[in-house]
Amino acid sequence: MLKVANTLRLVSKKGTNARALATAVGYKQALVNVPPTQLTVLDNGIRVASEDSGAATATVGLWIDAGSRYETSKNNGVAHFLEHMAFKGTSKRSQTDLELLVENMGAHLNAYTSREQTVFYAKCLANDVPVAVEILADIIQNSSLAEPEIERERGVILREMQDVESNLQEVVFDHLHATAFQGTPLGQTILGPTKNIKKISKSDLQQYIKTHYQPSRIVLSGAGGIEHGKLVDLAQKHLGGLKNTPIDVPELAPCRYTGSEIRVRDDSMPLAHIAIAVEGAGWTDPDNIPLMVANTLVGAWDRSQGGGTNNASYLARAASAGNLCHSFQSFNTCYKDTGLWGIYYVAEPMQIEDMLFNIQHEWMKLCTSVTEGEVERAKNILKTNMLLQLDGTTPVCEDIGRQILCYNRRIPIHELDARINAVTAQNVRDVCYKFIYDRCPAVAAVGPTEALLDYTRIRSGMYWLRA
Amino acid sequence: MSHVSDMKILFSRLCSFKNGLPTFKHGRTFSQNVERPPQPLPKESVTPLPPLSEPMSNLPPVVYASSKSENYTTEVTTLSNGLRVASEKKFGQFCTAGVVIDSGPRYEVAYPNGICHFLEKLSFGATHKYPTRDVMLRELERHGGICDCQGSRDTTVYATSADSRGLEAVTQVLAEVTLRPMLSSEEIEGARQAVAFELETLSMRPEQETILMDMIHAAAYRGNTLGLPKICPMENVYKIDKGIILTYLKNHYTPDRMVVAAVGVDHEPFVEYVQKYFVDMKPTWHSEDSDTFKAQTDKSIAQYTGGLEKEECEIPLYPGSDLPELSHVVIGLESCSHSDPDFVATCVLNMMMGGGGSFSAGGPGKGMYTRLYTNVLNRYHWMFNATSYNHAYGDTGLMCVHSASPPARLHDTALVIARELANMAGHVGETELRRAKTQLQSMLLMNLEARPVVFEDIGRQVLATGKRKPPSFFINEIEKITGEDIIRVARRMLSKKPCVAARGKLSNLPSFEDIQSNMTVKNDTSGRRLNFFRA
Repeated sequence: MLKVANTLRLVSKKGTNARALATAVGYKQALVNVPPTQLTVLDNGIRVASEDSGAATATVGLWIDAGSRYETSKNNGVAHFLEHMAFKGTSKRSQTDLELLVENMGAHLNAYTSREQTVFYAKCLANDVPVAVEILADIIQNSSLAEPEIERERGVILREMQDVESNLQEVVFDHLHATAFQGTPLGQTILGPTKNIKKISKSDLQQYIKTHYQPSRIVLSGAGGIEHGKLVDLAQKHLGGLKNTPIDVPELAPCRYTGSEIRVRDDSMPLAHIAIAVEGAGWTDPDNIPLMVANTLVGAWDRSQGGGTNNASYLARAASAGNLCHSFQSFNTCYKDTGLWGIYYVAEPMQIEDMLFNIQHEWMKLCTSVTEGEVERAKNILKTNMLLQLDGTTPVCEDIGRQILCYNRRIPIHELDARINAVTAQNVRDVCYKFIYDRCPAVAAVGPTEALLDYTRIRSGMYWLRA
Repeated sequence: MSHVSDMKILFSRLCSFKNGLPTFKHGRTFSQNVERPPQPLPKESVTPLPPLSEPMSNLPPVVYASSKSENYTTEVTTLSNGLRVASEKKFGQFCTAGVVIDSGPRYEVAYPNGICHFLEKLSFGATHKYPTRDVMLRELERHGGICDCQGSRDTTVYATSADSRGLEAVTQVLAEVTLRPMLSSEEIEGARQAVAFELETLSMRPEQETILMDMIHAAAYRGNTLGLPKICPMENVYKIDKGIILTYLKNHYTPDRMVVAAVGVDHEPFVEYVQKYFVDMKPTWHSEDSDTFKAQTDKSIAQYTGGLEKEECEIPLYPGSDLPELSHVVIGLESCSHSDPDFVATCVLNMMMGGGGSFSAGGPGKGMYTRLYTNVLNRYHWMFNATSYNHAYGDTGLMCVHSASPPARLHDTALVIARELANMAGHVGETELRRAKTQLQSMLLMNLEARPVVFEDIGRQVLATGKRKPPSFFINEIEKITGEDIIRVARRMLSKKPCVAARGKLSNLPSFEDIQSNMTVKNDTSGRRLNFFRA
């Protein structure tokens, strides 16, 4: 469902996921304005983390270390199928009871699956948090997985597939993963192939739950009007009964990156949608922060913004002045041990080549000659984006859940601030030199792609001949 | 091409004479002669810091805040020239500050339409203090700030979010961009280009909401105030110039039509900064005779006319998808202004209608037990969308339902929606009312989690009424609504002529009279005449 939104995240979204402060000076004073994130581990390994802001509303959710990456080519699509079955009733309550309960509370229940995470969360009035936690615990433990519902959801998922296919950005990113991580589980789509969706059975779903919904891989995260102690009690009450089963969790094999390309040429489409990326850093790699700064330096733009001539990003200025594309967006998607760092752009056939030239020129500049002034500016923008996006209980809850899964802690603001401040132009150049310079890119293109250069020529734009 | 291959041969010959380079052998062997094997990324990090999963050492000690309740009141001060300043404290490090102006396409009757569309694109450009947009953005960035400008039909909002410690700089930026913009010819050309691009993009995209909302307003308030287009018409893109824009600004960006508001700041210093930059420093259009200058604005009250607005056209398909071609129809009724005693009841009614896409993302909580789902989308599977909207303005309001279906089903779609609207005056269930009230309350509180929403709420309320009613006031008002209230506002709405907007392939669109006759309130609401449908 929400998967669409989750696949492509800008650096600012998926990036470091913690709040930062605007200036290094005086963050001690600033810190008094932010409540701490508290973390408690239950006996069975469930991690409970929350930030209490005393608001009238709250978001609570379960973040599970499971997603399409844990699937094989045989059962690819199961994680997403389960997300669909989540709200179809449990042994305690029917689908209608569940829906009416949530609707009558004025709450929202939602779920999404990404390549590495499965998430169920509820947004509700602060007083309703106990009910919300009970519902979430119920749907992950007692989902009824009734055959008629499974049959019905097949149809829904196949229709969702059409929907995803109509979102070309989604399509391009699925292709990009398929080529960059070919032959590995990260190359699989989240929805899974049609043939799998048609034959996934109740026992596949049960097997997946048994293998992956282990308490040690679950985080209960909360933000808003939530007291940590009460949340821990609720977790103990509703999730304390979960046991870690000694099933062999498939050892997560490192996913090999392959520089390569996929082109889906269709001249009947007016615009070409192109993504080009190199292998990025995993979640915990300290190089991730400079990569995010680099990503901010490349920036994002679309032509309805007009004033691109004054954008902080050089590429946005070039694109606006030279009419090089309709829109572009740089991205830094992270996984446990790898990532994709690159750019997605939409252009008319005759713009493709010029835009690519400018992108690669900008990338080479990052590796060789980015200046201190440019880096300072990007650092400020990065901090602002990360901080401003944590407005509201849902973004904060999401941030906590994701960070606990990725880092097993929530990075305190002042630390993140210090890490961003530590980035220098030399650091950006070094990191870009390592990840971008003379690396084989992965390219995915859909639409009228005739004018996109041959792979070898794109590859030759990844270095400069210098004396 | 031939000289290129010549060069290659020449090059390979030259190379083969050089020492240290591998000489080329005959045959296609170079793919095996990889000079450099693919290098895996080096494992060690370049950045000399511990992994993100481990804390950094040598960090200073931290003091965190503890939670406190968020009951802050809004303070309002009126300055000497009539400008109102409103602010509220809020938990957190960042503040949102901005200017809310009583300006929008509804006041454009004496001008070429589209000025406000241009102003949106021109916002946060060069000003007298900041010679280029770049300088201004850098100033904002120094305080971790971002900015944007958005307009509705009757209000324009310039907003910035930044570190609270940068409040003075932010206030200055806001004053500069609203009162002292340069509007250089390059900037106006840039805005022209951006508007033209946006028109082109709108026509290429399958999403129709923006265009349809302009059309339904045009049908509801034909030729006056709120009926004027928000999207700049193509023929005006090359007509609007600096002179026209300046005249508009001089007449509309006046202190009595503006509110400067902020969330997350202390009131006194904020008022001081506003006084300094908004009052003591004069606008660009200030001149000697300004004291005697009388601003000319369109003060007419919106005249609801009702009627039909349609456009027969090809609606772009979602690329690469099997979704069928859709035709869209919107049916609306005049509701009431946001100062009307029936306003809250209208909002509850709108919530009760609810609706959405037949295939929309989200789990329980998206309103799947609202009437447009239970009575419409769940029954008529060929309908792709049915969503209710309520637009409230200072002197009127418009409640409408947007629906989309394949062109062949347009006739049935329009009549189903018309009858569902007529049905609003019928029985109101106890549970559905309770649900709609709770949902409206929680929606209100959830929206107010976000600082920019609080800011806009303060600004708009103070602009309209001079003060801000706290969320708790509305929560209580919602609680008081009864079934009779709902039926009363529904009857009031249905007593007037509907307005209809349609776009797409329209050969199956029923006539306006047909739609209207399906919306008359019958005292007997029992029989849904389903046999009326064509197969």
